[in-house]
Amino acid sequence: MDALLEPFKIYLQHKVSITDEQFYLISDHLKVKSFEKNEMIIMKGDISSRGYFVLSGLLRSYSIDNKGKTHIIQFAPEQWWLSERNGMLFNEPSDFFIDAIEATKVVIVHKDFMNEAAIHVPCINDLNNNMLNNSIRFMQKRINMLLSATAEERYLNFITLYPNLTLRVPQWMIASYLGITPESLSRVRKDLAHKQFRT
Amino acid sequence: MEANVKRVASVLIAPAPHMVGDGFRVHNFFPSGYKLKMSPFFLLDYNSKINFSARKKPRGVGVHPHRGFETITIAYHGAVAHHDSAGNSGIIHPGDVQWMTAASGILHKEYHEEAFSVKGGDFQMVQLWINLPARHKMSPPKYQDIKQANIQKHYLQNNGGVIEVIAGEYQDLKGFASTFSPLHLFNARLNKGGKAVFTFPSNFNTGFVIIEGGIRINDEEVAGVDQFVHFSNEGSEIKIEALENSIILVLSGEPINEPIAQYGPFLMNNSEEIQQAISDYNQGKFGYLEE
Repeated sequence: MDALLEPFKIYLQHKVSITDEQFYLISDHLKVKSFEKNEMIIMKGDISSRGYFVLSGLLRSYSIDNKGKTHIIQFAPEQWWLSERNGMLFNEPSDFFIDAIEATKVVIVHKDFMNEAAIHVPCINDLNNNMLNNSIRFMQKRINMLLSATAEERYLNFITLYPNLTLRVPQWMIASYLGITPESLSRVRKDLAHKQFRT
Repeated sequence: MEANVKRVASVLIAPAPHMVGDGFRVHNFFPSGYKLKMSPFFLLDYNSKINFSARKKPRGVGVHPHRGFETITIAYHGAVAHHDSAGNSGIIHPGDVQWMTAASGILHKEYHEEAFSVKGGDFQMVQLWINLPARHKMSPPKYQDIKQANIQKHYLQNNGGVIEVIAGEYQDLKGFASTFSPLHLFNARLNKGGKAVFTFPSNFNTGFVIIEGGIRINDEEVAGVDQFVHFSNEGSEIKIEALENSIILVLSGEPINEPIAQYGPFLMNNSEEIQQAISDYNQGKFGYLEE
């Protein structure tokens, strides 16, 4: 087994009851890969059958609109999953780009991994369902935020979800994720600072 | 060799440079370049002399936070403009030193000074991070703008040159900067053939950055420009002789024997304090500074 898979094993063991021997059996289907900073991983239009579990570093998925503006859909720092489901589950071209914001190490999980792993470790199906439900819940919250929340509420939610990303990515990327302008994000941070110093 | 001599442990070449923002091309001697015992000095970024082309929009590093330590910027060529969330601002010209105590938290930005940027030219700087003892990590931020004219100077015999005492003490001459733990920081500007002797307690972690020229140390080792000299923790006396006109940044300090937890721009004692620093920064407790 690739020693670099160790953190992924620990992650799985934290989520489901899986022994070292069982992990060894399924680890044949897993591969660790490194991406350089700014490396493009999936282009819009690609059909990708892989998902990524981030061991170290930071990935993002995003779209670019007709005016050339970037819209960040998701950040994936350590211990996060990122996949492009059009390709992974429906064999259709991707609507999104995925690239590495930092030098990043990932575990590549092929679309058939969960099914194959479940042969050896049936409870992995529970994990898969759980992850899927969690992902839907995350997306529902995100849609609600984008439709109904103020810029400040979106920012406060962001720093709870991704505490250290404010130190890792430029302001414009955070603004892009939040669906607000960088100026608006700057105003939110300024207002928060003023509130802190009034109390 | 005399028993009291503080011997050279190693003479180190500058590690490969990396950019900090787009304005600082630095060699990190420690902690990432070399694993050196240098507490209370936590980080040494050395921007070796490089020529920046003229540019209207100044290069530099945008707004970022710090907590738990001090940043000391020492200019040799070029000029840097600084602004922070405590309302301090200043320009660091060659020969000047800026001593910023981030302590409980500050936001700052550092850019090439406008006139320098428009003209372009040689740029050479050192930035040091000096750790703070646990009891001072949450002190209020502080700013010491140390102009060349205010720096105490000890003139060496026989036109040997000058020792500029930025902090600490040299031959009973006390430095301008106040510090939170015992340490010495000098710029030794020696003429060719100039000699100087430094005496530091044996437990003080000690190093030299050769900014310009080259020196012979303790009559046995030689160090040249852009190299770092790391000294052993035995003995206390260091003798140097300039082989050509030279500038040496001298650092020596009493180690702070406390646990260290670092994440990005925060330097604390444990991971809970790091989490707190991230949370405080996100919530605006470091104040606000316009980009």
